Amino acid sequence: MISIKNLVKHYNNHIALDHINLNVGKGVILGLLGPNGAGKTTLVSILNGLIDFQEGEIEIFGLPLSQELKAIRKRSSFTPQSLALYDNLTVLENLRFFAGIQKIRGKELRHNVDYAVSVNRLDPLLDHKAGILSGGQKRRLNIAIGLLNNPELLYFDEPTAGIDPESRTSILETIRSFKNDGKTVIYTSHYMPEIEKICDQVAILDRGRIIRHGLLDAMLHEEKADSVVIELRHSHEAQLHTLAQKHAMLKVIDAATVMMDEPDATQLGAILAALEEEQIDIKQIRYGTTNLEALFIRLTSQGNCDV
Amino acid sequence: MFKAMLLKEFILLWRDKYALAALFIMPAIFILIMSIALKDTFGGDRALLSYAVIDQDNTAESAKLRTFLLSNGRLKEHKEPITNAAQRQEALNGKLHFIISIPPGLAQNLVKEQSASLLQLDVASDVKQEMLTLVQGELVLGIIRLRMEKIQEELAPFLPDVAQKLEAMKSNRDNLIQVRFNAMGINKKPTSTQQSVPSWIVFGMFFVIIPMSTVFINERKQNTLMRMSAMNISVPVLFAGKLAPYIIINQIQVWLMIGVGIFLVPLFGGDALTLGNSIGGLFMVSLGLSLAAIGTSILIAVTADTVEQATTIGGIINILMGAIGGVMVPKFYMSQSMQQLTNISPMSWGLEGFLDIFLRGQGAGAVITESLTLAGFGAGLLLAAGMILNAKMKRGI
Repeated sequence: MISIKNLVKHYNNHIALDHINLNVGKGVILGLLGPNGAGKTTLVSILNGLIDFQEGEIEIFGLPLSQELKAIRKRSSFTPQSLALYDNLTVLENLRFFAGIQKIRGKELRHNVDYAVSVNRLDPLLDHKAGILSGGQKRRLNIAIGLLNNPELLYFDEPTAGIDPESRTSILETIRSFKNDGKTVIYTSHYMPEIEKICDQVAILDRGRIIRHGLLDAMLHEEKADSVVIELRHSHEAQLHTLAQKHAMLKVIDAATVMMDEPDATQLGAILAALEEEQIDIKQIRYGTTNLEALFIRLTSQGNCDV
Repeated sequence: MFKAMLLKEFILLWRDKYALAALFIMPAIFILIMSIALKDTFGGDRALLSYAVIDQDNTAESAKLRTFLLSNGRLKEHKEPITNAAQRQEALNGKLHFIISIPPGLAQNLVKEQSASLLQLDVASDVKQEMLTLVQGELVLGIIRLRMEKIQEELAPFLPDVAQKLEAMKSNRDNLIQVRFNAMGINKKPTSTQQSVPSWIVFGMFFVIIPMSTVFINERKQNTLMRMSAMNISVPVLFAGKLAPYIIINQIQVWLMIGVGIFLVPLFGGDALTLGNSIGGLFMVSLGLSLAAIGTSILIAVTADTVEQATTIGGIINILMGAIGGVMVPKFYMSQSMQQLTNISPMSWGLEGFLDIFLRGQGAGAVITESLTLAGFGAGLLLAAGMILNAKMKRGI
């Protein structure tokens, strides 16, 4: 479905994507994970033909992206993180507009709008202006717009950002259901539990490189689940780096998060005492954290990453 | 595709009451107010200048001079009791434009070969030079008439034939000169409506900048444009999707404003607008103006970062183009250098085109240059906007 070979993208002197190789098969839900600035959005934008790249080859549906962009776009859709819709149009007007500009008409229009509406449970909201919908309802409309061309390949960029847990669950169920229709999904998110819940495969990006790609179950099976993550109430970047120099097993994830691999009671006690000595308030300590999160933190913690 | 874009723009505009007010109600009110306010300036039916006379001569001659001045409809005599310098100064501070003093002995001095000034004219400080010239001319004319009468009286006993001829030559001032305004009937004048409507149509058309840039920036900021781009909508198609609805909106504006000039202004006592001789020319100029206004709007929308920036910049540009282009102050009131400067404003090109049609009664051929210049200007701005938008979208902005 998607084949990426040696993809390179740089902005002036900054390398955004560094020789990316990735293959995604039909009917797969791939979670694209990475810290901020890792290159997730750049990769998705390139796959949608929104930005150019300097080197490499990309094929989607067996078609070269550079030459067959229009044909590829007709069979795929992109749901951006922002709510790309019109607040002053009703739900139905939004759907009809985005269908109209894709030249979807007549019977196909009715069928595809009905499908997008029913999958996203928008039936009672059709006459409501988008501007007065709740955050979750807007997110559902945002997703519905992406279904209007009945795509085989769907890209979702953080589709659940900033919404309540109930709406999130509903949206995740909807996206998971696309697999039953044989659709392929590329899903970027910061929420590890979401990825664990819906994705078959995971690709972890860090500083423009794919540092791990594979089946989620296999990756989790390999990963030990006995790491400890300590979240702090406030940022203490300088103090944490000083502590990390003294205690080799302490890894600084960001200014308010540190992690330890398989600490014993004495080692953990020493770290907690050191934090107390530095008058650093602890928000929470998580033992045996979500496996994917632990893997993610481990893989991306070589630098001072913002998770 | 265009149908969807057209419908979307119309719905968005229809639901934005402020934009509707800016596009349709504001220029209509401008036309109504300016046509009625300037009716007298262009019409000539009401006195524009007020004056008082201090008549220390009090003779038949001074009375004749006053009657002659009153025969000019643009002048109105006020019976102000002015007996001292303080009253004179107070009267000229807002109440009166002029005070004409007729010293004693006017009748005798009229026919003296060398005489001192016959009259004294005090002038308020805000009186324009052309108004002063008008009054001076009237006074000189009045004195010449009095002198002719004197000469006629003196000649009558000796040369009755000549005196009779002189009497026969007396005539109403309006009969002496036949006035014909360019492209109008004899003694017909361009009305304030005919002058105002073109100006405010041009100004109103450029107000599409505000709603258009607001919608466009929201589309950019909310990534709706990016989404459309991912749906195979290219920048030229996107711009075409904006052009079509706003050209229609501009045409609705033009005909609505013309309707205000024809039907509404007369209801409020103003003169009705007449259309001129070329509907085709009218379409050509208004299409050129549409392109220029839409090009300006889209360029502002792609360069500004926020809606607030776009509306502020758009408003300022609109007012500046209007001021420079002769919309707010008619071009003929401006100095020579300012008149030259008007040529840089597209509003001036559009206004000249409309004036050719509405005021000068010209046809489509006369407005080809203005229409093409406006269209070229708009196309140039659209091209620049397209290049900037493409570059921004490629950078993910």
